[in-house]
Amino acid sequence: PLINTISGVVKLCIVESVMLEMQDPKTGVKSQPQRLVITTIPHAITGEDIVAWLTNRYSIEAEEAWALGTMLVAFGYIYPLQDHKRLVIKPDASLYRFQTPYFWPAQQWPVEDTDYAIYLAKRNIRKKGILALYEQVQYNSLHKWMNHKWDFIVMQAKEQYRAGKERKKPDRVVFDCQERAYWVVHRPPPGTVSAMDYGLERMVLKSIILHSLQHSSCFLCLFSLFSSLVKYSVTYNKHDPFLAPCLPSNPWVTDDVTYWFLNMANVGIPTKMRVERWTFSFGELLSDPRGRDDFRLFLKKEFSGENLAFWEACEDLKWGTAATMNDKAQQVYKTFLTRGAPRWINIDGKTMEVTVKGLKHPHRYVLDAAQTHIFMLMKKVSFTTLILQALLCPSWRPMRGSVDPASVPSSSASWSRRREPGWPPVALWTSHRS
Amino acid sequence: MGGTDECKTMLDALNKVTACYRHLVIALGSTSDSQNLREELKKTRKKAQELAVANRNKLTELLKDKTTSKDDRAEYERLWVLFTSSMELLEVDMKRSLEIGQEFPLKVPTRHLIQTGMTGSTTTVAARAMSVQNMKYDADSNIDTADLKELQAEITQVGQMMEEMEMKVQVAPWAVEAKQEAGAELKSTLSVGNSSVGVISICEEEPKDEIDEGGDNNGMITCIAGFIFVAIVVIAGILGYFVIGG
Repeated sequence: PLINTISGVVKLCIVESVMLEMQDPKTGVKSQPQRLVITTIPHAITGEDIVAWLTNRYSIEAEEAWALGTMLVAFGYIYPLQDHKRLVIKPDASLYRFQTPYFWPAQQWPVEDTDYAIYLAKRNIRKKGILALYEQVQYNSLHKWMNHKWDFIVMQAKEQYRAGKERKKPDRVVFDCQERAYWVVHRPPPGTVSAMDYGLERMVLKSIILHSLQHSSCFLCLFSLFSSLVKYSVTYNKHDPFLAPCLPSNPWVTDDVTYWFLNMANVGIPTKMRVERWTFSFGELLSDPRGRDDFRLFLKKEFSGENLAFWEACEDLKWGTAATMNDKAQQVYKTFLTRGAPRWINIDGKTMEVTVKGLKHPHRYVLDAAQTHIFMLMKKVSFTTLILQALLCPSWRPMRGSVDPASVPSSSASWSRRREPGWPPVALWTSHRS
Repeated sequence: MGGTDECKTMLDALNKVTACYRHLVIALGSTSDSQNLREELKKTRKKAQELAVANRNKLTELLKDKTTSKDDRAEYERLWVLFTSSMELLEVDMKRSLEIGQEFPLKVPTRHLIQTGMTGSTTTVAARAMSVQNMKYDADSNIDTADLKELQAEITQVGQMMEEMEMKVQVAPWAVEAKQEAGAELKSTLSVGNSSVGVISICEEEPKDEIDEGGDNNGMITCIAGFIFVAIVVIAGILGYFVIGG
């Protein structure tokens, strides 16, 4: 929740500013020319220089610098000149080069199959019909399902090939290497691990922490981080078993397991503390299985149960085994996304387009965009309705009562009775959030 | 059928300009970036839009005609799919060039261009797009920032044009059957220079040991062959001398 306060724009800007800093002729990474048989191409950098630069710039250990460097290579910001299929940083004299901004990974520019088909056709021309086996397989499959566009693909491939030949030899070599590197990242050869399996967002965490600690202009970032940390501490203070006493008693201390029984996942009546925790954020409600059950019942009454079902299916896909991914993705498509589906979810046209396109090559995070949309929809609509109804209608009980663990469990206790005179903490929290 | 030939020529031109534009956008932000590149992008883009409008008018005219035969109609729909695919590519590239152009202003000294290894100019690519021999550069020195507003307006225009097209012309793209089969790109480009093969194979890794050994062997064989050749010439000369002399 702390990291989420930084917007997506700032996240990606940080990785790119790391790249820009590396270009500085005085303080950046030292480059050297790469000597090939006929020509010499400048701006080659060694793996050890990259790792050394990262170590010095961010005052981190060599292993962390190596991990960060590998991430830069795995996502395609830097590409190796030798052994182009292995996307790792070798901290020795192996050569790398920076990728051109057009080929940097970006979530707002999804990787198009049309472009891949054009690339394979160009490669076919260059290799005079002799493609690698996996490329041949991809080519045939694309030819089959993109058949209506095939004339365009052939025409465009030929023209791009001819336009490429207009450039001087060294630039031509560089361009071919760049393009090949881009497609190794986004359409990895079989048997290699793709960073795209892990998603672009994951990589950014390390770079954010490193960069924002150093860069003075991220003071605003730090301030917002700090204030959200304070807010977090104030809210969760009473729920932290180290800071506030655990009621009725801490089982580890007194050997009395009542606390655990009261807080089981499938308990009939949840405790007051637990219910209060659900009001802190939508994420809390969903991550508690008992809360999720109650929310599911609530949604059933509101006739929007398919949203939660979709969200759960997305989680299942994200955390499931790789072998079942394809089947699960197909199942989700049939049940939720296709027109006339039994549990059709309402997402906007652009997200739907992106998701359906992504489902042609399903991976773990293909449904991320749609899942986020549905999550925000549930949060803004259903969750807020739930909270407001609980506040404004004291007699209305969205959850089946709550238990005060300090006294004998009583089924008649409800949220409203727990309230002190004045603003209830729930209202304060939700109004503050919005 | 004169209509389709004219259309095909115009589509070929649009296709060529789109391909060149993509090459130019790929050079943005790298060490090949320069004021000239920005001007080349602007000119290529304007040419592409002119061709797009001309193509759209011609194709909508052909498709609106209800009296065309089924075969002709199928052909026009195929051309329409070619046209819309080109336009999609062009639109994406225009948006990307705006984004990268904004991220990499040329005049700011603290903003470094990415050292991609590309250092040559793109003038020949632009000349190919504009169908001229040499490009003339006459823009102001602040084109890298001044052009961006125009680009934004043009992107909106192109977007609107594509929406209008979708509304007016009801063509189902997936119903179109392509004329080219798999591997069609190999025909008619096989004659394109063999000299390029040597350059491109540099990009692949070649283990150094193999090359050196092979080189040595080749050298030995060449020497022996040369020696034998010279010996044969000498013997032929001697025999000839005897034949003529004797």
